[in-house]
Order: sequence, then structure tokens, then C-alpha cells
Amino acid sequence: MPLGDTVGLAPAGELHIASLLLHVRPDRQPTVRTAITAMPGTELHIEQPGKMVVTVEGPHEGWIADRMTALHLLDGVFSAVMVFHHVDRVEGVPPSKP
Amino acid sequence: MLDRRDFIKAQAVAAAAAAGGISLPAAAQSSMVAGEDTALKWSKAPCRFCGTGCGVMVATKDNRVVATHGDMQAEVNRGLNCVKGYFLSKIMYGQDRLTQPLLRMRDGKYHKDGEFLPVSWDRAFDEMASQWKRVLKAKGPDAVGMFGSGQWTIWEGYAASKLMRAGFRTNNLDPNARHCMASAAVAFIRTFGMDEPMGCYDDFEHADAFVLWGSNMAEMHPILWTRITDRRLAHSHVKVAVLSTFEHRSFELADIPMIFEPGTDLAILNYIANHIIQTNRVNKEFIEKHCNFRMGQKDIGYGLRPESVLEVRAANAKDPSDSKPIDFDAFAKFVSTYTLDYTAELTKVPKERLLALAEMYADPKTKVMSLWTMGFNQHVRGVWVNHMVYNIHLLTGKISEPGNSPFSLTGQPSACGTAREVGTFAHRLPADMQVANPTHRAHTEEAWKLPKGLLPAKVGYHAVQQDRMLKDGKLNAYWIMVNNNLQAAPNSANETYPGYRNPENFIVVSDAYPTVTASAADLILPAAMWVEKEGAYGNAERRTHFWHQLVNAPGEARSDLWQLMEFSKRFTTDEVWPAEVLDANPSYRGKSLFDVLFRNGNVDRFPLSEVNAEYANDESKDFGFYVQKGLFEEYAGFGRGHGHDLAPFDTYHQVRGLRWPVVDGKETRWRYREGLDPFVKPGEDVRFYGNPDGKANIFAFPYEPPAEEPDKDFDLWLVTGRVLEHWHSGSMTMRVPELYKAMPMALVFMHPDDAKARGLRRGSEVKVMSRRGEMQTRVETRGRNKPPRGVVFVPWFDSARLINKCTLDATDPISKQSDFKKCAVKIVAV
Repeated sequence: MPLGDTVGLAPAGELHIASLLLHVRPDRQPTVRTAITAMPGTELHIEQPGKMVVTVEGPHEGWIADRMTALHLLDGVFSAVMVFHHVDRVEGVPPSKP
Repeated sequence: MLDRRDFIKAQAVAAAAAAGGISLPAAAQSSMVAGEDTALKWSKAPCRFCGTGCGVMVATKDNRVVATHGDMQAEVNRGLNCVKGYFLSKIMYGQDRLTQPLLRMRDGKYHKDGEFLPVSWDRAFDEMASQWKRVLKAKGPDAVGMFGSGQWTIWEGYAASKLMRAGFRTNNLDPNARHCMASAAVAFIRTFGMDEPMGCYDDFEHADAFVLWGSNMAEMHPILWTRITDRRLAHSHVKVAVLSTFEHRSFELADIPMIFEPGTDLAILNYIANHIIQTNRVNKEFIEKHCNFRMGQKDIGYGLRPESVLEVRAANAKDPSDSKPIDFDAFAKFVSTYTLDYTAELTKVPKERLLALAEMYADPKTKVMSLWTMGFNQHVRGVWVNHMVYNIHLLTGKISEPGNSPFSLTGQPSACGTAREVGTFAHRLPADMQVANPTHRAHTEEAWKLPKGLLPAKVGYHAVQQDRMLKDGKLNAYWIMVNNNLQAAPNSANETYPGYRNPENFIVVSDAYPTVTASAADLILPAAMWVEKEGAYGNAERRTHFWHQLVNAPGEARSDLWQLMEFSKRFTTDEVWPAEVLDANPSYRGKSLFDVLFRNGNVDRFPLSEVNAEYANDESKDFGFYVQKGLFEEYAGFGRGHGHDLAPFDTYHQVRGLRWPVVDGKETRWRYREGLDPFVKPGEDVRFYGNPDGKANIFAFPYEPPAEEPDKDFDLWLVTGRVLEHWHSGSMTMRVPELYKAMPMALVFMHPDDAKARGLRRGSEVKVMSRRGEMQTRVETRGRNKPPRGVVFVPWFDSARLINKCTLDATDPISKQSDFKKCAVKIVAV
């Protein structure tokens, strides 16, 4: 699953923020949590047994889609689907914090 | 900046929590719909992709779609979106979008071997009409044909049906849905007398057990999968069984995982029926009151060309649909040979798993939802296997009530709403009527204000047969709309491509992009896509949903509807109707087909003033009346009062779809049961009113092997299918850079030991070869799909790696649907 950050594709100064709803195997939740922490641009906000709300921030849609698909296919994750997506034009702000 | 980012993130989190049913502290709740910028105009639309039929909100700015998100108000998905839906805003803006008609020319004239040159619409239709007239004059209506689509809007399919049947007087109209839903549709009619599921998506929230029969919902219906996952995680008693010929993503949720030998699903189903009977869990009252039993025809061949050995050898290839009435005892005796021991040996599935699966159906207290798509339908015994899943739901009475649901999933966004309900099949008319039935034809002639006896009775060529007739030179003028058949059809190099390039044939392709099919055509017509036209689809749960035109199509691209209607202006009744009909009905003389089909007092009934002033409507503006409304209302007249009831046209623009039958403004979630279905009278309890006796038919069928199995020369099973990132032939998704990058090529998924045994490893460059053709790609041994030894999986989205050169054009002899899941290949290093 390519997670290459091809910043070359990014139009200058766009910030994409998306939120994903994850359904996870309750007994694998700790592993999934760790994987999310290690994935650049993702942040875990809410957790319940079997469910997680994760935001993804990045410079372009490809960034968001890569992470969404990577999460959807992660061992222990049953499904990762998107709910919210917003694009902002930003001047002089780095695309994403790691 | 940080404040705004945090604010947006908080909104994002709140929206996801709401969608996920997670309660938040009051302060975090946000009622604002995701990311709405006031400079953008947001409108609702169904997603362009799969049969789930999610609702999306589409934002436009300066005549361009700039953003989409899941529609919170849509019941299907409640704001959720899968990765393909996420990119809807990009699918219309691929760099090579077609914007002008293109005709093969040499020395200023059409030539079969010429180069594609841009021409005007006039010139395009001049050539097309002249070819059609030439062929009709020389060979008659049998020699013209059309291959349409489950991605046509409802009115496009309806207009096509009128043009072909009433205009050119041929039933050689078939949709690409023949490749995906024919087996399901045929089995519905044979069992219940009416097409389409009796349940709906609400069943997800009521079932105690889910059984995936060969469907990979985690990748192919991801939003519905989310609903199943939610139900499974929230209620520990809920169990999920996943059956397939290879391990895939859906197995992650499986309590009962089951890998079975290809083709043996038939045996599993008979075993379950046997188990129900042997353990005395038949719902005797239900079957007595509501079911008939029939013995089906055996040894029915494989739908290959008649001279093929398998067809000659088959005892009943000529009458595969036959059956005779039997009783319950005969049925019980028939399935009694499908013991646990026999079935375990044949299927290679461990006994305890088969037993656990059977108990899901047998236990009267377990509400069970069965879900299937192509594993069942793209099957040489697809009709049989669909019947057999109804058998086990009917034997136990587990049907037509919340949670008890044999649910046929759909792949395309409107295989139901257009192809099946409108009837764009070679044997169908609207509302489940059949061309071969004189009463149905007479009714249609009346509704369409046509002379009596005009409509052709002969069933037309189905998909695979159209390819064979093109190759053999019997079908000579052919219009392909909204599909990519050269990539999708089985055994394509031998049976599809030759027909398109046959010099006797004139092939027209309407598409938005230069697909492989378009590049093999003689005339390419640029098509408008999705929200570039006002449209309507019908999803898998009988939900009809509409959208407005939101932007203009680029260049000279025009909708399929416009193309069909405009083309009809080129013909008069004198040119295409038989003299006897015109002699008997002189008032129809000298009229253009456009006048007869579309200016008939029905279709042109609604003036332009009824078009919503907030939205464009290019077709209506061009023709001078509200064409979509006129076509829809004429079409809806077929079904209203007969269980196919559609709501008034205008209602659908206001709501997020409605599930038919819609009676007195109320949609129907479960059909055939008293209290839930308005067509079942008090006291009737359950009535399958599609059949004259109100009963459903249970059919006895045996296990019969696939058409081609691995042997010493071609030693692996080939299964084809899809992946999450790409939809069908990839003509849209492969043009979205992000989706292309996510999965740029079709790999062959194989077991690492199978690779090793052939001197291969992950990444090796190989040829996948069958008796018919070959395709070159790379090996994947650690991917999301994990086939067992002896099986390989290749997806078909890649136009540079055409796996259908390898597949076999064997079909279910009853449904004529191709089996894309079972043929024999070998894999060799390049």
C-alpha cells in the first residue's frame, strides 16, 4: 500500500482535513491505535470498543485517500470510511505536521 | 490559523461521531453539515458508482464540480463515503475526456480502417443513420442491435427501449447488466413472479446472522459492510459467515470463514436444505400455504456455441428452463443425497463449519440475511444457485420480514432501476413484462400509442450472443452505450474484438472517455456524465433516487438521452415499419420516429415551465418540453397499481429516494407480507402476488461441475473480480490520479507456495495463459486477497492488462450470464 508522500502532486498551500469512522476488532484495538499513531497525518480523537474516529490532515486528496485505504486494509480494521472532508487554501503554512 | 484548523477538526470529529452513532459531550456537537463554504452551491445526488446507492452532496462553483461529501440525510449511508465516492468530484475531469464525435475517415469519407477524425454531430448522425438504413434494408431488424447499461439513467433506458423495439422493431437490446445480474433477475421471476429483493437495507439492523455467499462486501459494498460491522460489534450474539473460493478482506469479520472448491456452492446449499429437513426444522405451515415445489431440468450445457463439445454432449441444452411440478417429499428425497460427509468431501470444507452454517438457517430463532453478488450470478449454474438460496429461506419461512432476508446485492448504480425495472433486456418490457407474451405486448402498444401488432415478439440477442452474431456477420449495425464491453466481455480476443472489427459491421460507442471499446469502434459519440444531466437511478434496495443537472458537459458532449432522441429524428415510419402496419394504420405514415416515440402526447406532456428554474436541463431546452418528466411518467404508468408503484416525478427531486412500491406517498420496506406490503390484503399473511397462485416456487437442482476445470496443462483456477479502489473497468477511477496511484495495475494474486513451485516470487513478471488467450502482469503473494493453493485472482479494472482474453464465454444456459469466476489457466515466467 503506497504511502509515499509525493508532495510534488500538491497544489501549493492547500490543507485537507478529513474525518474517518473506523470499525475495529475490539481485541485488536491497541494494535490499531499504535498503527494510527505511527501513521503521519492521522490523529485519533474518539475511541469506543469497536469504533474509532480518526482525522487525517494533508496537502492533497491523495494523501487522505492513501491513509483511508491503508486504514481500511489494516489488520484488525473491518472498515474505514470517510465522513467529512474540507479543503482550505493556506498561505505560508506547512502542509501537515507529522 | 491554528484556531481555524482546530475548529474544522472539531467539526470533522463531531460529524464522524454522529455518523458512527457515538455520543459526544454537548459542547462538541455540531449541527453544521460538513465543510460548507457559502460560495459553493450544494445539491443532492446518488453516487455514480456501485449498487449500494449512497447519497452524496455535490458542490459546484463556476460550472464545475469542486467537492462532494456523504449526505447526512441519506438513509443508505448517513454521511459515510467510501474512497471511490470520495473522488466523485474528479471523475468528469480526466484529461482525455471526449468532447467531439469522432469518425474513422480516409480521404474525407468513412472508412473502417481510417483514423478517427473529429466531425460535427450532424455528420456523425448522417453516417450512422445511413448505415442503419442500409442494414435494415438489406437484412431487416434482426441485424441492428444495442448494448446498453445498468448505468443508464431510468429515462435513458426507457428511451432506448422505445427506440429499439417500437422504432427499429427489434429486441436486440441487452444491457451490460446481463454480465452481472441476469441470473438473479431470472431466478426472481421464476421463484416469485416479480423481480428484485423483498427486503431492504433495514434488514442489516435486524438480522442475527449474515451469510456472504461469495461476495466481498468489505471492498465492493464498503458502506453496507460498515452497517453489518456495526451490527456485529454492537450485539455479541450476531454471527457472520463468509464463503468464497479465496480469502479476502471480508474474512476479517467472519465467525464462520469458509473457503470452498469452485462451483461447489451448489452442494453446500443442497446440504443446508437437507439438514433443515432431516432435523425437522421445516416450517411446514409456511410451505403448505405459500410454496410450490418443482423439479428443474438437469444437464443443461454451458451456453457455449452450439457446435461445442460440451453443448452437443448436454442432454438438455435446448430446453434448460424446463421444470415439472413435484411435492415436498420428492424434494426432500432429492436433496437427501447431500449429506454432511458427501458435501464436506466435495467442497473441501470442514464438517463442523458446514454444520454451523446450516444451523444459522435451520434454527428458527435466528434471523438470517443472505448476501450475494457475482459469486452467485456470474456462474454457469447462476440461476440454480439463486434458486437454492431462496429454497432455504422458503423452507424455513425466513423471508419478507425484518432481518430474514435473502438479499441479492447489485453491482451497478441502476441495474435495478434501469436495466431490470425498465426492461432493457432482449426478452423484457417494462414492469417485468416479457416480449414473448402477446398480452404484455398489446398492453405496451397501447401505453405507447402504437399500432396493434407492431412490437416484435422474438426474443433478441443477449450479450454473449450479440458478440457471436457480430463476429459471424449477422449483426451489422451496433450501438454501445455507457459500458466498456471489449474489456468486460468473456473470451474477448476471440469472440468480441473480431465482431467490432468485422468490415461488415458499423460500431458506434457512446462514452465519456476513450476506452478500449471506443478505440475499437467506427464512430465515437462523446457522452455527458452524471451531474452533467438530470438523472435517476434505482439501487439494490428498490430505492429510486433523482438528481438535477448541476454543470454543463464539456465541449460537444451530450447525454445518452439526447443522443437517442436526436437520432430518432433521422428515421420515418415509412422507412422502418413494415408496409402492412402502415396500410392498416395510415395515420402513422410519414411520421418521424421522434414524433411517434417522443412527441406522442405523453412524453411531451409537460412544458418547460415545469423544469426547476434553479437548475439547467439541456435536453429539455433542446427538445422544447420536460423530457425526463414525460418519459418517467409514461414509464411509471406501467407499474402503478401492480406492485411496481413509483411516486410522482416531482417527489423524487425533493426526497433522498423512495423504495417502491410507493403507495399513497408511503414507501414499502418489506414486500409480500401483510401489514408491511400494501398489496397484501388483511388475512392473507404472506402472498407472493407476482405469481397467479400467490405462491413462491422451490426448485430442486443437483450439483453439476463448472464448464472448465484445471487440468495438467492449465493447472490453476482463475477467478476474476474487482478491488476497492477501482470500479468495474476503471474507465473513471483509473483517470483519478490518486486512485490510479493507489492501485495502478492489475496483479495476479496467488498462494506463495504456488509461486515457489513455479519458480516465481512476489513481483515476478508472468503470463497468465488459458486455452483462449493470455495477459502479462506481476505476481502478488502478500496482498489483500489470499487464494488457497490451486486458485489465482486477477481484477479486471486494468485496460492495459485485459484478463478477459483468458476467460471462457460459457454462460448459465437459462440466464445467459457469463461465468467470470471459473476457468483454467497456467502461470509462466516471462
